[in-house]
Amino acid sequence: MKQLRYRSLIGLLGPFFLCFVLFWLVPLIGGVRLSFYANTLVGEGSFVGFDHYRALLDDARYFKAIRNTSIYALGSLLCILPLSLVLAHALQSLASRWRSVIQFVLLVPGLTPPAVLALLFLLVFHGRAGLLNQWFVMPLGGQPINWLKDPDVILAALVLQCIWRWLGFITFFVHSGMQAIPSMYYEALQIESRHAWHRFWWVTLPGLRHVLLFCLIYLIVDAFALFSGAYVLLGGSGGTADAGLMLVSYLYQSALTFGRFGSAAAMGIAIAPCLLGILGLMAWFGRKYSQQTGGSKA
Amino acid sequence: MRVESRLSGPSPGAWPWGWWLLIPIGLVFAYPFLWMFLSIFKDNQEIFQPMSLMPTRWDLEPLRRLLAGEWFPFWRVLGLSLCMALGQSLGAVMLTSMAGFAFAKLRFRARALLMLACLCTVVLPRQMLVVPLLDWVNFIGLHGSVWGVMFPGMASGLGILFFTQAFRQVPDAYLEVACIEGATEWRAYWLLLPMLGSCLLSYGLIHFILAWNEHLIPLVVLKGDAQQTLPLALASLYGSSLRFPYAALMAGSFVAMIPPMCLFLLSYRRFRNALSQIILS
Repeated sequence: MKQLRYRSLIGLLGPFFLCFVLFWLVPLIGGVRLSFYANTLVGEGSFVGFDHYRALLDDARYFKAIRNTSIYALGSLLCILPLSLVLAHALQSLASRWRSVIQFVLLVPGLTPPAVLALLFLLVFHGRAGLLNQWFVMPLGGQPINWLKDPDVILAALVLQCIWRWLGFITFFVHSGMQAIPSMYYEALQIESRHAWHRFWWVTLPGLRHVLLFCLIYLIVDAFALFSGAYVLLGGSGGTADAGLMLVSYLYQSALTFGRFGSAAAMGIAIAPCLLGILGLMAWFGRKYSQQTGGSKA
Repeated sequence: MRVESRLSGPSPGAWPWGWWLLIPIGLVFAYPFLWMFLSIFKDNQEIFQPMSLMPTRWDLEPLRRLLAGEWFPFWRVLGLSLCMALGQSLGAVMLTSMAGFAFAKLRFRARALLMLACLCTVVLPRQMLVVPLLDWVNFIGLHGSVWGVMFPGMASGLGILFFTQAFRQVPDAYLEVACIEGATEWRAYWLLLPMLGSCLLSYGLIHFILAWNEHLIPLVVLKGDAQQTLPLALASLYGSSLRFPYAALMAGSFVAMIPPMCLFLLSYRRFRNALSQIILS
């Protein structure tokens, strides 16, 4: 290829990276700077070094928020990914016309603004007369649960909301991924084994690894960015005994309710390397695994 | 056999097992939305009985009062939401498709490094950087301006990944032909762009939905009650007073669902195709 013209390269990459630097990189650096200064509403605070970070180590609510967010992320992952695999197989068994209708019905909650979703969740699912109690808890012989006041079930309510919201989209991705697997792999396996489980384990699952990895990362990131659902559901606080305190809710609360901008910035910055590390490792493992299998195939 | 199945779907004997699972789940998923639509006509007492579906009367009064702007300037809020979501989505498609083209088709130094930087924006979402972002937006004087919401949304790493994959689908030969004809890379980008119609539309759609649904950034950047997006206005209406007619809230929620739903329905097929193309690679 001939010599690249740098002018057109800058023209192509420039606008995006201008936006990237101005609205992602600068806030990130600004956040690091902010976290070293005292909490003030207006003007410059004094330089306090690592004080905010030291205070965070003793902040039980911060760890509670991280714990809650991690449980929320794990819980929704463990429910959504297996369920979406099952649902994608169920979709596959339908005639194609019905398939798209059902798929659309499943996608509707994902298209809805999460604020609306939380409102509906409040009105339809929770409460004594709510659907969760009437359809699921009471027929199974349980006592009606107060989903948003009982600290033991608040997280479960948030996870249920997450499942409701994302299950359709993840199923959609998984199903598209399944259709992209070349049928010759299945035909090749037919010679070895006719067992449906083998088909799933040896062809479908490896074929879906990229899609599943993407969904995994997407769900984790979404859990750490969760705000609207918890904000509407719990009124901007952490709910009873902080059982539903999420990371972004806590950030928002510290900064905009209590005016502790410095601490709030420190909270965001402190969790960033962990998140980057975990997801980076995940992507790296996913890549390594796919290279290995790719190598053995070739 | 083929003709028969095309006419009547699966034959009566073969009731697909998927139905046993999908009908209950579909019902649970769809019921709240059906209920929401029918609740536009109900009074508060009926709304707090979520098991009853049909309204006793068909009263359009709350909807009329909502549209007349009794609680918030409805049309202005709707207009602002639409403009912001559309603008953000168009901007993101422009910026990320240009950068995606460069990442997929051109070779330059620091490519891997820049790609990694883009991945970081996916992994570390701007919601977590909200406090310094607010600080910075205040500093450059975009506080209370729609640009302060739109620009941060356009720096979307997801779009870079999407368009890098999409442009990899396009054979290199086209680019080579364009270069032999003497086109610059900038021109070649515009020549290749029409081939990605479905992808552009799909990503525009995804980004529109993300922008339309965004809650936190508009909440902190925009100026309180004077500027609100529809989800914000609805969230602040909820729980404002006990005598407030919830039917209006349901009507507003219903309106808030219409734009993403319509866009999605219109581009469903293209979205599917583009997505399976991206996954195939």
